[in-house]
Amino acid sequence: MHTILAVDDSPSMRQMVAFTLKNAGFNVVEAVDGQDAFEKSSQRDYNLVLTDQNMPRMDGISLTKKLRENPKFKQTPILILTTESSDQMKMAGRAAGATGWLVKPFDPAKLIEVIGKVVR
Amino acid sequence: MGEISNNSSSAGIDLSQFYQVFFEEAGENLELMEQKLLELNVDAADDEEMNAIFRCAHSVKGGAATFGFSDVAALTHQMETLLDKLRRHELTPTSAMVDVLLAAGDALKAQLAVHQGSASSAPDTSELLGRIRAMAEGQAPAPVAKAAAPAPAAVVSPTLKSMPVPKAQTRAIELVVGPLEKPETADALSELFKEIEDLGTIEPLDGGRAADGMRRFRVVTTTSDSELLDLFTFHVARELIQMRSTDPGFGFFHENAGAPPEENPVDPGYGFFEPLPDASPAEAAPAPASAEDVAASTPVAAAPKAAAKAVEKSVATPDQATLRVSIEKVDQLINLVGELVITQAMLAQNSREGQLNQQLLAGLTDLERNTRDLQEAVMSIRMIPMSMVFNRFPRMLRDLAAKLDKKVELVTQGEATELDKSLVEKITDPLTHLVRNSCDHGIELPADRLARGKPEHGTITLVASHQGGSIVIEVRDDGRGLNRAKLISKARERGIDAPDSMTDQEVYSLIFAPGFSTADQVTDVSGRGVGMDVVKKNITSLGGTVEIDSAEGYGMSVKVRLPLTLAIMDGMSIGVGDECYILPLASVVESFQVAPGMIKTIGGSGRVVEVRDEFMPVIDLERVFEVPRFDFEHVSNIMVVVEAEGARVALLVDELLGQQQVVVKNLEANYRKVQDVSGATIMGDGRVALILDTGSLVRRTRH
Repeated sequence: MHTILAVDDSPSMRQMVAFTLKNAGFNVVEAVDGQDAFEKSSQRDYNLVLTDQNMPRMDGISLTKKLRENPKFKQTPILILTTESSDQMKMAGRAAGATGWLVKPFDPAKLIEVIGKVVR
Repeated sequence: MGEISNNSSSAGIDLSQFYQVFFEEAGENLELMEQKLLELNVDAADDEEMNAIFRCAHSVKGGAATFGFSDVAALTHQMETLLDKLRRHELTPTSAMVDVLLAAGDALKAQLAVHQGSASSAPDTSELLGRIRAMAEGQAPAPVAKAAAPAPAAVVSPTLKSMPVPKAQTRAIELVVGPLEKPETADALSELFKEIEDLGTIEPLDGGRAADGMRRFRVVTTTSDSELLDLFTFHVARELIQMRSTDPGFGFFHENAGAPPEENPVDPGYGFFEPLPDASPAEAAPAPASAEDVAASTPVAAAPKAAAKAVEKSVATPDQATLRVSIEKVDQLINLVGELVITQAMLAQNSREGQLNQQLLAGLTDLERNTRDLQEAVMSIRMIPMSMVFNRFPRMLRDLAAKLDKKVELVTQGEATELDKSLVEKITDPLTHLVRNSCDHGIELPADRLARGKPEHGTITLVASHQGGSIVIEVRDDGRGLNRAKLISKARERGIDAPDSMTDQEVYSLIFAPGFSTADQVTDVSGRGVGMDVVKKNITSLGGTVEIDSAEGYGMSVKVRLPLTLAIMDGMSIGVGDECYILPLASVVESFQVAPGMIKTIGGSGRVVEVRDEFMPVIDLERVFEVPRFDFEHVSNIMVVVEAEGARVALLVDELLGQQQVVVKNLEANYRKVQDVSGATIMGDGRVALILDTGSLVRRTRH
């Protein structure tokens, strides 16, 4: 079973994402912000990291950068969930090494659709 | 971000199951935002604070949009736009902005209440939206007087559905027209964009040719779908026009790890990310000028750090570290522990009397310790920090000061001090009254303050601290203070006996007299002649006391002393005849043996005792409670001095039995109100002992 690290500071978003993923047959580990996710990143292997962008302590792009420094996460897909899709954000996301982005709000079906493209 | 697609299903997931979490989270975010807004120094706004405020609006918007609360999303979107410009220093914060954002926060709470079913109608926010938008666009805020008329920007009044896409936002859509008999008909649409300034740009995606009678265009515009449709229908029938967002809402960076293989680029549904700087046709709108796009970018450097420290507490907890339990369950637990404490005390008492197995004795000792620990742990469940009460004051004072044209700063200390929840609820109103009073009657107008050489801003300080088994909450201001002469003359006007010989303390206490108001003019804020007496009564009924201190011209302080909890109390048990009574230990000052001649009779029946050159009234508990006495030879010769309401009395008792923690049982609920008694408890031997109301005993001596 694939394991996804789901990172969001908003409890409702986190629950929605986690529920959707579990419903789709994924194993989910939740983290409340980038720092928490970073700490949890070493605890096991993940098939995908799904992170919110705007979070306290550590945002999604910083988390992406830090994860990519770890050889274990070199090939892991990392998707950034964001409320905006400006070129600025994309440049920052690409530079950090993110795999892609998904604009919020999204509905559960969209999330599963996008994840299906990177996790098989 | 606008609603991207409504055609995909929710993958069979019912989003309503997350509503409750969202409501709680949104509520916390709004509280935090309000608090931060109130703390915000508009002249020197802190970047981190600004980011924290932004993030609150941002989080609420994200959730609201996801869970389909479009009115909440629309309003938070507008707030976010303004806050984003503020945190980027594109706009300078003004107190008018803070006002509007606070008002928006109130409106959001009302909207959420409607969605939660706890209110029936939400306020109309179109005017508010217009004002925020005007501010975000850098316009001067509409004067309050004109607020009733719709602000210019709000005239459009879009439907809730389309609200999250504000007018100013640039977006890209794919326009499909057809099937057309003459494909050239559609070229008229291109002409429209040439004729109408500001409509945006249009470019054919099919090189001007229609493969199947369908023409395809890419349109970049700020105009809403419905307005575009109205324009297009001049040339093409409405049912032949389809518009859809070309932004799929996600994309991949193909050179980065984990990205899927590039799919056929024909697929218009996905915006794969190739040449970044000049966005591909499938790419979203150009970046500049878009309020949405400006939002939340350059996120790396500025955001986290100190803002995190404040936000951390609200984000990391709710569903991770805490558990919501109904108050009845906790109360039941407290009651049961109370019974356990009594049983344990009984066992301990009995074990002292007979011969006992050594192991049993050791077990009893353990039981005692565990019981005490358990009791403390259970009691602590109900303890909540004073910040729950203090948090309401910044907003209240801000509104109040504005209404009174005063400048007031609020300083709070000891917010972490914990107090029983039931007490917190009951102390909120009296404290609110005290704070209002300080602002209304205490703090002078800015001009008066300057004239007296005081800073223009008055300061109201709220301090909570633990002192022994009590919590002391002080409300202090640096206002005009109390005027002794004025108080005395006012008291006499009202027919209250006020001799000049009264101590300052006694004079100040006059303001607690029913119907006593020192304000020369009654204001609509506080002071209609009711208030302080009610405050005093409420606090006394909680087993608390109120002390006033003041220096005329320098301010005034009201200290409220409360027991930490109403459920248990440290008591001193005393014996009178065959009866046992409990005195609250907090009020016991000292005890001593009476030597003959120390008690003097004054006046008709009053008796006083002299203790270190101080005379205090003597209360013979035997007489007060009419304790039956069979040993007529006996003379009570022990005095216990108790202090309450700023006065001391000496209680004449037979013996001191000891100190212990007692579980307070309400006498009123189980029997009826008894004069001079505040409650009852069950002693270790199973007997019931009455807990004496020392305040009431002290008042007895005043008449």
